[in-house]
Amino acid sequence: MPREVDFFGVLLPGVLPVFLAAMLLQLVLDAGLSHIGIYRRSWHPALVRLCMFVCIFSALLVTLYK
Amino acid sequence: MWLRAQTADWLRTEGERWIFVAKAMLASFSALWLAFRLGLDAPYTALATTIILAMPSSGMVLEKAFYRFLGTLVGCSAALALVALFPQAPAVLFIGLALWVALCTGGAAMHRNQQSYSFVLAGYTAVMIAVPAVDAPDRVFTLAVTRVTEVGLGIICSAVVHDVFFPRRHARTVMRTVQARYTGFIDFCRQVLEHRITPAQAELNHLRFAADIAALESGRAAAFFEAGHSRWHTRQLHAFNAAFMTALTTFYTLHRLAHRLRAAGGVSGSGRVNAGAVDAGAVDAAGAGRVLALVEPMYAHMAAALRDDLTSARLAQMRSALAGGIAAARAQLADGPALERAQQIDFDTAVELLERYAGNLADFATLYLGLTQQKRQQISDPGAYSPRTPPAIIAASGFRAGATLLVTAAMWYWLAWPATVNAILMATIFCALASSSPRPTVLVQQVLIGFLLAMPLAFITEFLMVTKADNFYPLVLAALPLFACGAYLSSGPRWAGVGVGLGMFSATLVVPANLMRYDVESFVSSELSLTMGVVVAYLMFKVVLPEHTMGHRGHVAAALWREAQNACGARLHRLKRRFDNRVRDLLSQLNAAAGPAPDAETRAVVRQGLTLLELGHAIIELRQLIAASHAGAARDSLEAVLRLLAAYLHAPSREGGERALQAVLDAGSAVRAALPDAHPERRARLHTALTDLHSIYTSLLDQLSGEFHAA
Repeated sequence: MPREVDFFGVLLPGVLPVFLAAMLLQLVLDAGLSHIGIYRRSWHPALVRLCMFVCIFSALLVTLYK
Repeated sequence: MWLRAQTADWLRTEGERWIFVAKAMLASFSALWLAFRLGLDAPYTALATTIILAMPSSGMVLEKAFYRFLGTLVGCSAALALVALFPQAPAVLFIGLALWVALCTGGAAMHRNQQSYSFVLAGYTAVMIAVPAVDAPDRVFTLAVTRVTEVGLGIICSAVVHDVFFPRRHARTVMRTVQARYTGFIDFCRQVLEHRITPAQAELNHLRFAADIAALESGRAAAFFEAGHSRWHTRQLHAFNAAFMTALTTFYTLHRLAHRLRAAGGVSGSGRVNAGAVDAGAVDAAGAGRVLALVEPMYAHMAAALRDDLTSARLAQMRSALAGGIAAARAQLADGPALERAQQIDFDTAVELLERYAGNLADFATLYLGLTQQKRQQISDPGAYSPRTPPAIIAASGFRAGATLLVTAAMWYWLAWPATVNAILMATIFCALASSSPRPTVLVQQVLIGFLLAMPLAFITEFLMVTKADNFYPLVLAALPLFACGAYLSSGPRWAGVGVGLGMFSATLVVPANLMRYDVESFVSSELSLTMGVVVAYLMFKVVLPEHTMGHRGHVAAALWREAQNACGARLHRLKRRFDNRVRDLLSQLNAAAGPAPDAETRAVVRQGLTLLELGHAIIELRQLIAASHAGAARDSLEAVLRLLAAYLHAPSREGGERALQAVLDAGSAVRAALPDAHPERRARLHTALTDLHSIYTSLLDQLSGEFHAA
């Protein structure tokens, strides 16, 4: 994975696209989970959601960042 | 025991506020630390973002964060486009910017809540990026990227902190609103059915309910961003709002009919009839009295039924009891001497309305039970809430914002004082922000007070405390009191504007850049120019079109008429709901502008609005019936009614109104003539048409008499 992405002449960090992808995945998963109603059973729904995002983001990074 | 009660009380009131302050500070300084750590160019943007995003509940923070990011992106793109188009021509650039700001502020006035904020932000972000780039167009891209990065950083910090640490879930507030609304409505219905409420009080109640509908909608929009708020919830809440509006409208018509019957029945008792009309009046009164005697027990029964919890079993029971009551009343009527035609119509309408109301109430209660018990139920797509702002106000807010930008830009040019850039920004920001508030001058005034308070405090903080800090943590210690004070003030309802002003001002000035420069002269001139910007915004609101603010009585009244005209002509698809939403939205704007105790003129507008609401509903229903029916004498007569009504609504005059009344009477005869040999399904439709004609007739009568009483 490239360290930096060239965006119209501005160098953006390479994790940015990964971050956005993680965000998208998270949105899909979130919609699914709230449809099932998982959040109602959890103690701290927002924390669950945040942790989920961190997991997705890290998993993507670990697999892509070599 | 006493101590525990006191502590619990403190925790519920002041404790909440201090937790909020702690969260806001945590978000602010973590964003600042990250901005320093990452070596961003203007760390104060990240800090200012967290201060702006400090809202009481996590749903609100997330919603605002989302729309802030969106607005920033759009604003930056607009700035880049504008600077790229006119790099060498500042005058044209400023005119372009003014147009953009005007467009965005107008768009903000058309929307509600944070969507409106997104528009405001798109407008002033463009100014923030483009104005510093006037002298150095090549820097504009870097400026834009920095801005987006830092806003993004602030957003992430705020969202994480407010959502994770001691979150206050907005979904709970929404549920509380739903419960309060439900009990409020049931109480209101009971009071009306038991005749314990005057028409003036009822109008006020309707005004409050309109505000409630808007509030629930904005709460739903905020809760949407929280974890665990599914699509199903959104649809459910939309449906709840829609069912509430339908029930409210039917109930209003029902209430008016009951009131009218009672007034007519009271004529003979009060003996205030002049000699010529005695006979007719007495006959009328006797007839109305009989109708009243038949209908009254059903009202009482309904009121009694409302006293208990409305479970589905009890609702079914209530409806069957109502059907029994109606059958009994019909039988009683058939036994006695025949009623006069007018009274017969009154009776039929009362019965039809009661049935309709019971149906609406059942829908409403079912939705409520589904929401509170988290029971999933199938609902047809209720569609979103659609707001409505009078176009004159949209145009005026756009014009005002654009003019402010041009005025301050001219000041910048003629004063040749570099710090005026700050004034341009502040004037534009507050002109745009306050446009969507019902009392913009009060808001800007509060912000101004905050700025004035912050001037000495920021100076002291900067030069006596921040200068002594040699590290990040002492810096936090030095800046904390000022920011905490701002956050604390902004968490209470009374001084929220002052708190926001204090926070914004300090965030812009106190926070050091990566390379700190302590320059008293430039600091003071920044202070002065920032304050000047707010003063300019205040003056602009006072001077430029001061009457064109959100919820201004005259504009709302005109917009209500336009909505009624629209009901006659617009495409039928979803028209009823749109009409309902828009009229309620206008009323809620009126409520926001009028405050807790509306004056007589405002109440007149409310009464007018409710009459037009009733009229519009009946018109839309008639149009739906016409669209579904076959050609014939009845349909032709209904079409004639609609034509004349549309003409009346476009140019209200006594003659037009009377022509429309006559047409309604003719149509009534035509529809009734078609009744005997209609098959049952068509008969039901014809009955609905008769009810609608009746409510058109009575609201037109009210309208005509009201106009000429007032004149």
